[in-house]
Amino acid sequence: MFASLKKKLGFTAAEIAVSAPSAGQAVPLSEVNDPTFSEEILGKGAAIIPSEGRVVSPVDGTVELMFDTGHAVSLRSDSGAEILIHVGLDTVKLAGKHYTIHCKNGDKVGRGDLLLEFDLEAIRAEGYDPITPVIICNSEAYASVQAHTGTTVAALDALLTLKK
Amino acid sequence: MKQIEFTITDPLGIHARPAGQLCKAVSSMGSSVKIATDAKEADARRMMAVMGLGVKGGMTVRFTFDGASEEEDALKLEATLKEIGLI
Repeated sequence: MFASLKKKLGFTAAEIAVSAPSAGQAVPLSEVNDPTFSEEILGKGAAIIPSEGRVVSPVDGTVELMFDTGHAVSLRSDSGAEILIHVGLDTVKLAGKHYTIHCKNGDKVGRGDLLLEFDLEAIRAEGYDPITPVIICNSEAYASVQAHTGTTVAALDALLTLKK
Repeated sequence: MKQIEFTITDPLGIHARPAGQLCKAVSSMGSSVKIATDAKEADARRMMAVMGLGVKGGMTVRFTFDGASEEEDALKLEATLKEIGLI
């Protein structure tokens, strides 16, 4: 009941929770070895060093763009947060190899729904860093984007708290 | 109003990184800037909308500038696109 109430009130709630889309080690964006992410050019957020090859939806929302290469997906939460999950650095160059897509543009998804899977070891073996930034693309819409990092997380553990 | 068109030469198109760089550059401009393909138009300040155009290498995109600094901003944008390696 609490969950459905929270969902109903989502757009007026002062705090918006964005869960971890994958299990792994949660780290600050500053530790991502790519200035596009570490300098917050795409927005504020956190990153996960994944320990499993699954990405689930961190929020109740809509799939805005599932890249046909499978390496990234963007969602709009029902509360209006624009979230980009980018699996690995420079992995656009894999052109879809080692990624399996489980959603499509416009899909309504619930928190925890499977979005994509990836072969973690194969991506590492090809020399790519599988670190997965989770970015709030409309960070400017929030007074603060708090990252809960420095810990091991399971999928759906708290990762970001957005405050209006 | 000022319009310019470019053919994107980066075979990977406007994916996350170039979309972010593009939006960052546009955000500092005085003009309102729209980016359009044959199919869709987006506010060039909104990274998700820019990525959502799904621009691939070889596609032509049109930028529309509106504002007092539109001529100057169009030149700036062209320089940015070259710097990013999109054109």
